[in-house]
Amino acid sequence: MWLVYKKEMMELLRDKRTLILSILLPTVIFPIIFFFVGKFSGDRAQEARVQEIEIAFVNAEQMPGLRDLFTAEKNFKKVNIESNNYKELVLSKDVDFILEVPEGSLAPSNSRVQQTVNLHYKGASQLSNILSNRVNKIFESYNNVQRNKLGDAFNIPNASLKAFNKPLEVENKNYASKRERTGEIAGAMIAYILILLAIAGAMYPTLEVGVGEKERGTLETLLLTPMNKSRIVLAKFAVIFSASFSSVAFTLLSYLFWAYIFTNALNLDAIGFLANVSTLDILLIGVLLIPLTSIFASIMLSASIYAKNMKEAQAYMSPIMMLGFVPVLVAFVPGMELNWKTAMIPVTNVALAMKDLIKGTVDYSLIAVLLVSTALIAGALLFFVTQFFKKEKVLFRS
Amino acid sequence: MIEIKNLAKTFAYDKKEAKARQKKVITDPREGEGVFHAVKDVSFNVEPGKVLGLLGPNGAGKTTTLRMLSTALQPTEGQILIDGKDVTKDPLYATKQIGFLSGKTGLYHRLTVQENVEYFGRMHGLAKNELDERLDKIFTLLDMHSFAGKRADDLSTGMSQRASIARAVIHNPRVLVFDEPTTGLDVISAKTVLDFIESYRGTDMSVIFSTHHLHEVEQLCDQVCLIDLGESKFFGTTEEFSAISDNGDLYSSFLKLVKVQKEVA
Repeated sequence: MWLVYKKEMMELLRDKRTLILSILLPTVIFPIIFFFVGKFSGDRAQEARVQEIEIAFVNAEQMPGLRDLFTAEKNFKKVNIESNNYKELVLSKDVDFILEVPEGSLAPSNSRVQQTVNLHYKGASQLSNILSNRVNKIFESYNNVQRNKLGDAFNIPNASLKAFNKPLEVENKNYASKRERTGEIAGAMIAYILILLAIAGAMYPTLEVGVGEKERGTLETLLLTPMNKSRIVLAKFAVIFSASFSSVAFTLLSYLFWAYIFTNALNLDAIGFLANVSTLDILLIGVLLIPLTSIFASIMLSASIYAKNMKEAQAYMSPIMMLGFVPVLVAFVPGMELNWKTAMIPVTNVALAMKDLIKGTVDYSLIAVLLVSTALIAGALLFFVTQFFKKEKVLFRS
Repeated sequence: MIEIKNLAKTFAYDKKEAKARQKKVITDPREGEGVFHAVKDVSFNVEPGKVLGLLGPNGAGKTTTLRMLSTALQPTEGQILIDGKDVTKDPLYATKQIGFLSGKTGLYHRLTVQENVEYFGRMHGLAKNELDERLDKIFTLLDMHSFAGKRADDLSTGMSQRASIARAVIHNPRVLVFDEPTTGLDVISAKTVLDFIESYRGTDMSVIFSTHHLHEVEQLCDQVCLIDLGESKFFGTTEEFSAISDNGDLYSSFLKLVKVQKEVA
């Protein structure tokens, strides 16, 4: 047994591709990826910690000292508001937070009962949680002050004991819809699954129509037909694209069906947000996957044509899969959102756009930018693969 | 008639390969500065109805020569004329005139025999009626009707080889190129191939047949071309080839020509 083990290990260690996959990937490539993802995530969180927060106060003079605590804090900016439509002000981003002290409310130390204030804001992302935590910390400071004052008056009735423990209750009025809040995580997950399916769905047919022709010995006979090589490779590309895209399309159709069943028939509240994703948004998700699938179909087909045999081709597929997964994971990073810059980053842009489509916060003009940039890359790669297929060195590589 | 005139094919090494080769002791005269002359100068011709045996040791340049004939590779120099027309300048014409079969060529496993052959017929642009006619004729000739509906992965080696032959001749080519078609076949399967080649003798088709089995050459070939180190060292009739050696057999002649070449190298 030892003899067989030794021989197999020797062969394995002499295979450069195995070495790269089993040693280089976990020791060098993964740490580099984790470092950059971690750094980006940390930078965004740090930015959120020092980001200027615009806060408006309504009737704050009824609770002396509360406003001063905010204005004394660094990076808090007091803004004035004219309207009393707090929701609209928050959603239009005129102000980050509105602290509303209800008419007639007094500081708990004066009223000797617990008081409630309303905090209006919109928080769907992990970054907005950082912002609201900063605001809540100030409320906690105010509570401490009030607790001390209430302590001075020790002989308080039982009803006021509650006020002693928590003099001020903050009622959060988060205007982010349930779809936005749930979609932040679920959207990224759905994008991840769809992109994974698109890539995985392309892999098997790619091996079959590329290196499979070499292994079967049918490539040479195919090249001896009058059919133009570009047309042959385009047909092969179309097969891979169809297989990959149909697996995604079936998933989307299944999503529509189950979303209907879960929300209407089974009344599952947790995924009720799915029912709010419009058919147009689902269609757009499908459209986004067209250039993305083309990109991976072209890259995989090139690798499959280049490979001498099935084993070599399979070795190429793992890094290509990584090439797909890593940019999708980047879309999970807090603070990563679709904008003019990220709309140019292949794969990541599609994942971000899908997430936004599911959340219902997408900027449709960015979808157009994304589609153009991704389609250009897909077109260039398709052109490359047609030229690659004409190279004797590739077709008869030995 | 097919004529091959001073055919040559040079492959350029990529930088990495060229660098690696600089460190090695190179004994092959075909190695050049960053290039490999796989075929340096090959000439022969085959008249209709004749079978030419293409001989040579492994790595001599036979397969490269045949790949140039079939237009899969573009020659660096030289001419390939079919009925006087230079097919290096018109590869499309060549694909219509040449049928190719090697021991390594396979079939699409999940298609039936008929679907496999039909597919290549369609790729060659045959119309439905013409294709049906050709299929019937070839399937009868090769006794294939009984397994025409079977999937290729269910075929025996012999059936598979017959299906491959049918695929190679479906478009009725003028020149048939066989690259070691009996390699790895059992005696019965090999006989199927050899009988088929035999059946083309005396017709209007030219057959080029590359092999390592000299008894097959003796049995089938009218002419012989021996390639070694990328050059045709002999071209003539099978009888002339036999006469090169003192004892008049193909093996001795082959060894004599190749040995002389090795000694020179």
